[in-house]
Amino acid sequence: MNIQPKIILECRSVTKSVVTSGHKKGDTTLTILNPIDLQVKSGESLAIIGASGSGKTTLLSLMAGLDLPSTGEIYLKENPLHQFDEEQRSNVRAQHVGFIFQSFLLINSLTALENVMLPAELKGDSDAREQALIMLDKVGLGDRVDHYPGMLSGGEQQRVAIARAFISKPDILFADEPTGNLDSNTGDYISRLLFELNEQQGTTLVLVTHDNQLANRCQRQLTMAAGQFVESQNYVAEAG
Amino acid sequence: MPMWGTQSLRLFRHELRRGELTIICFAIILAVATVFSLTNFSEHIKSAIISESNSFIASDRILQSSRPVDQAWLQQAQQANLDKAELLLFSSMVFAKEEMLLASVKAATIEYPLRGELLVTDLASGETKSQKAPNIGTVWVERSLLNKLNVQLGESIELGVANFTVAGVIEKEPDASFSVFTQGPRVIMNMADVEQTQIVQPGSRITYRYLFAGDKQDIESYETWIKPLIQDNQRFYDIKSRQSPLARALERSEKFLSLAGMLGILLAAVAISVASNRYKQRHQPMVAVFKSMGASKNYIAKLYLLHWTCLSVFSITVGLLVGYVLHIVAMNFISDYLPNSAMYDGMYPLIVAISTGVLCAGAFAITPMRALIATSALAVVRGFDDVMGGNPWLRQLPSFLAVFALLLLFSKDITLTFILIGSSVVVVGVLMVLGYSLIRLGRGVGSGAGKSLHLAIANLQRRAKQNNVQLISFTIAIMLLLIMLVVRNDLLDDWQAQLPENAPNQFLVNVNKQQAPKVEAFLQANGMKTTELYPIVRGRLTAINEDKVGKQVSKEEEDKSDQGRRGIGRELNLTWHDKLPTENIVVEGKWFEPSDLTPQVSIEEKLADRLDIKLGDELTFQIGSEVITLPVTSLREVNWQSMQPNFYMIFSKGVLSDFPATYITAMYVPMLNKPQMQQFLAQYPTISVIDVDAMINQLRTIITQVSLAIEFILALVVLAGSLVLIAQVQASMEERERELAILRTLGAKGSLLRNATLLEFVVLGGISGFLASVIMEVAVYFVQTELFKMTVSWHFEYWLLGMAAGGAFVGLVGFLSCRRLLNLTSVTLIRRTL
Repeated sequence: MNIQPKIILECRSVTKSVVTSGHKKGDTTLTILNPIDLQVKSGESLAIIGASGSGKTTLLSLMAGLDLPSTGEIYLKENPLHQFDEEQRSNVRAQHVGFIFQSFLLINSLTALENVMLPAELKGDSDAREQALIMLDKVGLGDRVDHYPGMLSGGEQQRVAIARAFISKPDILFADEPTGNLDSNTGDYISRLLFELNEQQGTTLVLVTHDNQLANRCQRQLTMAAGQFVESQNYVAEAG
Repeated sequence: MPMWGTQSLRLFRHELRRGELTIICFAIILAVATVFSLTNFSEHIKSAIISESNSFIASDRILQSSRPVDQAWLQQAQQANLDKAELLLFSSMVFAKEEMLLASVKAATIEYPLRGELLVTDLASGETKSQKAPNIGTVWVERSLLNKLNVQLGESIELGVANFTVAGVIEKEPDASFSVFTQGPRVIMNMADVEQTQIVQPGSRITYRYLFAGDKQDIESYETWIKPLIQDNQRFYDIKSRQSPLARALERSEKFLSLAGMLGILLAAVAISVASNRYKQRHQPMVAVFKSMGASKNYIAKLYLLHWTCLSVFSITVGLLVGYVLHIVAMNFISDYLPNSAMYDGMYPLIVAISTGVLCAGAFAITPMRALIATSALAVVRGFDDVMGGNPWLRQLPSFLAVFALLLLFSKDITLTFILIGSSVVVVGVLMVLGYSLIRLGRGVGSGAGKSLHLAIANLQRRAKQNNVQLISFTIAIMLLLIMLVVRNDLLDDWQAQLPENAPNQFLVNVNKQQAPKVEAFLQANGMKTTELYPIVRGRLTAINEDKVGKQVSKEEEDKSDQGRRGIGRELNLTWHDKLPTENIVVEGKWFEPSDLTPQVSIEEKLADRLDIKLGDELTFQIGSEVITLPVTSLREVNWQSMQPNFYMIFSKGVLSDFPATYITAMYVPMLNKPQMQQFLAQYPTISVIDVDAMINQLRTIITQVSLAIEFILALVVLAGSLVLIAQVQASMEERERELAILRTLGAKGSLLRNATLLEFVVLGGISGFLASVIMEVAVYFVQTELFKMTVSWHFEYWLLGMAAGGAFVGLVGFLSCRRLLNLTSVTLIRRTL
């Protein structure tokens, strides 16, 4: 169906600036992203690295359709996100996007199983439960399906979050510092799991991280500083 | 079921089980339970009180007229399923052998009395039992009549042109006139006998009374029907319209119950508002995650609408159950005091309680729901900010309107609603300003003080905004509790003052000039407390400033209260006195100077107002064949509820001394002294004794009931108040958890943190207590003047209580809630939060 099946995500001269209401009428405009051009191919894994405040999380939220760019165009699976309202973007997310967050963002009142079921249910899958059980098994939590997040360790919580991200077989997965809250051993395990599943499902992966090791597992690395891409090789992670 | 329904129910089930909805549910449950039990309870009390006190008028309603009323009116009553009895009241001479006496005759149909007991000692059996009207051809009489006419039970007396057998002695008459000026002892006869006496002639002074009793609704619909038809010479009234001490106590207790219920509602509303805000904060991350996964706004709205509906239905149901149990427990406690006939089983409490739940849950959901639905998916990466567009005052509008509607629905009293809403709005306004300044002021104090205090103050400042919200809810809670307590105590004091332990229980009337000193001596010798002896001269007001008062006379005649204070159209009981009687206050002019010998008169202010008499007006009285004219030099406010002789007109000494007078006094005769008293009075058969012990006892019983009710309600309201405090503390727990973790990590000692937390809450509670006291004083002023028409008083002792209790209670609740956190090891704390 796709005319250019290889490009799943494209940013054209995307900028983001916010107006900070300072003193009375003296509003100032703060530029967070300078014009960014980016193409992500289907099945590709891309790491965006950069120091805090470099704009990488902003870029991620634009690409995922969580926010709108100030100028420029963003196409996700050929959907012009920059023209879509919130409801339409929600719809795109439900159909094509998965997320993994630094702080896991599991719903504390629901069990691991129910957390994983959520995206499949939102998509309207009737066998959400079965799929979720399989996913939890895959991340090694088959015996903890009825546990609440509070009863799980950080690593286990992130595994639940990974299962949740992959259950709806998203075309593209955005991960925001997926190992940022974990110790290095657990982080390793999680990143291995992430790439394993990514490979299995042929998902496009865009991750934002400080972690060079994690970034190096990606096929491509882009470094951000002051709201734009810089030479990727020169980057030295400040918070290794 | 659609997916949003499944997810919503799943979420609700889990959260309920995990106790995450406890506070919000508890707040709604408490609102519903308080209102349900309170309304139920007060309806019970009201109907108990009314059924008890309706015996004071021997029915539920009375239609009084100077002429027979249209038969159609009575037929209407019959159609309305009302019980009916008829009374004819008139004065007539009674003859027996050579003796004669003016008696007050009551002719009654056989249904009389409809309420209360007519106790008669029977001739045949000698037993005292509850009776309806006497048989044809017989009469019942007051014991004093037997003595004065020197007749025995079973002998006959002559009334008009007919003879009647005295078949019994009246021991207790349910609707006995509480007048010390009753004309002559009571005779009760059968209505069917009236005609043959031939007393009732055209032009006779006769009062027709039609008594009605029945179901509340029937009575009320009949009342609505008949009220517009009532003419000038007629009155339709119930127990409450009687100007009796009882009526006032009843009215006030009803208002108090209403006030208490409203305070309960307000407190619950504050609790729900606090809890619903917390509900929003807790669910925001959830919404963001849902949205990031592609859930639409519409989806979220449906999901949360169902979630909140489940929560409300659950809480309202539990609230009704809890309320019912509370009510049963309370009824168990006081059922001994309630007559069995008084069980209330209407739907009103249920309706009010459910509306409370629905309105509260509905209105307080609007703002958090809107915020939840508006939560941006971006929050998953950006975090949550609490900023919501629009005017924050406007956002509170739905809740505000709901509370207003609820209060009005519950109390049906717009003044009271405004007082309470007004004072709450003032609280919020004043606190916004004052809260910040006080806490800021604390900075200086804190920095120099010990470490814990320093940390406590620093904490308070850092969270100035949240603390202001806390301060407001604490203050409102404490203020409402204080209002409740103060008004309760004032009311009880007021009642107690009206009916002190040794309130006069006997009146002596018709004491003549020769007897007066002897009576005085006797009373003194026996150490009986007495009001002074007041001379009484009967006279008629004929002119004001030389204007004849004919017209006003006839109006006043109709206005005369059935309590028996003689209106001005008839002869008045005039007295003279040099001292201002207790319970009288001169509101205009000056009381007589002892040295001033000019004839002058002091007049009761309400009568003066009605007759348009001003200070300095010249009043003309006709006493016997003499006419005297004298100026008004003072207007008096008279407490007609006081159990003592009260007068419209008091003359200066000397004016009336040449006229023949009888004397009246009221005194307290202890039970033990009663036989002695009787012996003494036996020597003076012309002196009439009016014993009001029974009446006073009944009043005391009722006041005991009401006081009990009030205690119970106070307890409920305190519970509601505590909930507000707990909910508020809970709301700040999560943030505290983080903070404690940080402070722990930085090496703060457990004891330091403990003391700082405790102090923070104590200071917050103390400040709230102080502000609450100030605002309470203002609110109570309005409650006292507008609602209870009481004298205004200050309550500084409660200021201290407000501050101490506020500090102690808030400190305790805060400390206990934090203790769990403080007892965690720092490792656990840090792992949980960072």
